[in-house]
Amino acid sequence: MPDFSSQPFVEVARRLEVQGAHSWLAVLSPLSDPTAACDALSTELESFLQTPVRVVPLRGSSFERLREQLHQPEHDAVILFASGDLEAGEWSSLDSMRSALERRGPVVLWMAPDAVGRLTEFAPNIRSFIGSSIFLAGPEPGIMTDKERESRLEELRQHYQLSDQEIVRRAEAKELPPEPHFVEWLVLVGRGDLV
Amino acid sequence: MARACAGHDAACTGKMCNRWYGQGEAFVLPDRGRGLILRGMSSSPSTTEVKLQRRERFRAYMQTFNPTAPPQDAIEAGLVCEELHGSLFRKLAGRADLERGSQQLLVGGVGSGKTTELILAARSLEQEGHVLPLYIDISAETDLSSLNSGALLATFGLHLTRRLWADFPPLRQGMEALLGPGKPYGRLKEYAYGKQEAGVTTDEALGQRYPAAAEADRVHQADAYIAIRSVLGKLNPPALPALSRDIEEIRGPLEEFLAVARDAQKEVVAVFDGLDRLLDPTRFWSVASQDLRLFRELKVSVVLTAPLSVLFGARVGQSVSDHFDKVYHVPVVAVDPVRGLLGSVLEKRHGYELLSDVDADSVCEYSGGVLRDLVSLARDAAVEAYISGHDSVTSEDVENVVQQLGTGYLRGLGPYEMNLLLRLEESKWFDVSRATSVELLLTRRVLEYSSTDFRVHPALLSVMHVPEPKSA
Repeated sequence: MPDFSSQPFVEVARRLEVQGAHSWLAVLSPLSDPTAACDALSTELESFLQTPVRVVPLRGSSFERLREQLHQPEHDAVILFASGDLEAGEWSSLDSMRSALERRGPVVLWMAPDAVGRLTEFAPNIRSFIGSSIFLAGPEPGIMTDKERESRLEELRQHYQLSDQEIVRRAEAKELPPEPHFVEWLVLVGRGDLV
Repeated sequence: MARACAGHDAACTGKMCNRWYGQGEAFVLPDRGRGLILRGMSSSPSTTEVKLQRRERFRAYMQTFNPTAPPQDAIEAGLVCEELHGSLFRKLAGRADLERGSQQLLVGGVGSGKTTELILAARSLEQEGHVLPLYIDISAETDLSSLNSGALLATFGLHLTRRLWADFPPLRQGMEALLGPGKPYGRLKEYAYGKQEAGVTTDEALGQRYPAAAEADRVHQADAYIAIRSVLGKLNPPALPALSRDIEEIRGPLEEFLAVARDAQKEVVAVFDGLDRLLDPTRFWSVASQDLRLFRELKVSVVLTAPLSVLFGARVGQSVSDHFDKVYHVPVVAVDPVRGLLGSVLEKRHGYELLSDVDADSVCEYSGGVLRDLVSLARDAAVEAYISGHDSVTSEDVENVVQQLGTGYLRGLGPYEMNLLLRLEESKWFDVSRATSVELLLTRRVLEYSSTDFRVHPALLSVMHVPEPKSA
């Protein structure tokens, strides 16, 4: 049986970022501790997209409440949390209100792997919105070694002709522009708190 | 073994901490996101400009291929092929304009382009000058799962009054007499959103003690209570059976506002979208039938959508044409290399900026002619290419997204459904009177190219295990 592609959360965030406004995708939660994994996704999206992220539970949410939650505000990122016990009727109800869920900010449908069948069966309009963007929550990708980190720092120092200390000083003085390279630099020297 | 994060004390677990902590030779960044420091993202500053250009190129492509953006945006940006369904919108607009009180039904599967046709029809009517088209997506306004008859009339009335007030300032003076409680607009609002009725009761459990003496004096009852009864509106209704008497209540207010529109030389046309979400045809009829009768009596032309299930399935398809002046079926668009309709959709959206001819053909083929799947595949293949570091879409990117789409369709299928699909693939046999067959159509696992030509969605077929034909 073919399976969905597995994507670490940062790749999920990259996908949403490049898709721009009105983007939708689905992430299939891991079997163990889905709530903690959802929190991790939320943190990753917030960090990468630089926008607030809200987790909106679908269970027991009325049409009016859901519509309000998705539109006030309308530009942040929303994770629609479909718990494993979401029943056929609730999926159908969600499907019928798809137009009311359309918004500018990105939407991630977070659901159990075995819910895809119910999504396709009872919510074909939502499934159509998601298209082929259904991913398994994957393990985090390779992380940097000390050597790689030092090499990358040297690259940044050479290019900008600045030292680590100077970057930190400027960040503390709030003189550092919010460019991705400087953010990366601060994180690499262990001063991500200044970002 | 994990160390305390740099610069922090040993008690720090890393939670809510931006600093690095070590795991052997590796570093991870907890909780603030690892995206910024991933190996794959670290770019040489000297190549940043090139990467930014690439990113902008992909993002520009994504903007034109956005299956979830409002169709209005794509129309306004000139990204829509208007002739895709044989200028259907012109036919809809033409009849709605020429035959007052006509009723046309647009039936099609999910993602077939119905909304785009409706919006184009509304725009076309608007350009006529003497028509006031009201495009209303009922599914965005109220919960369809508890919708009842009267809801179409209620939402139509509200849209009409708001539109007249907003777009025709000279009419406002005349309209003011129609506003307020008890007046046509007040009655419309009550009809839509409900009201509270007070009545006298001696049952304390039903009522709240009336504080003032006036009402009790009037009815001469020492122990009178006022019971407040909530009468729900049509846009937040309980699941009650429809009553034609109930529908009649709205006739008066609607006639008043239609008269205002006609005084302004405007014929109102109602364009209802979203009713196709009522996948069960009996639900569709229970909502639509009485409302449509009143619309016809009011001489308001109506165009509305319906799910595919009103055409197919036992005891439903036969009667649909009896209820409407015209029923249009929006089928999936067949892959046709000569006419190249699907290719023209990609071309209109500048798809060939990132797609080669071969990959564009693959995207067309595996979409099965479902327009939203076409746009989704074209977009998702580009996302795949971007994430993989490709400069344009490759065949591998297309294969990946086709498999993803097919796997989505495959999930949840039981042995019985699989047998039906295999039988359709092998013998072209498909019985649309069966409930399971209709479900396969509604979920887009089976596509309808005409009333007799049904096929398994090509993306689904690509991930199904189809047995080799037996040799003689």
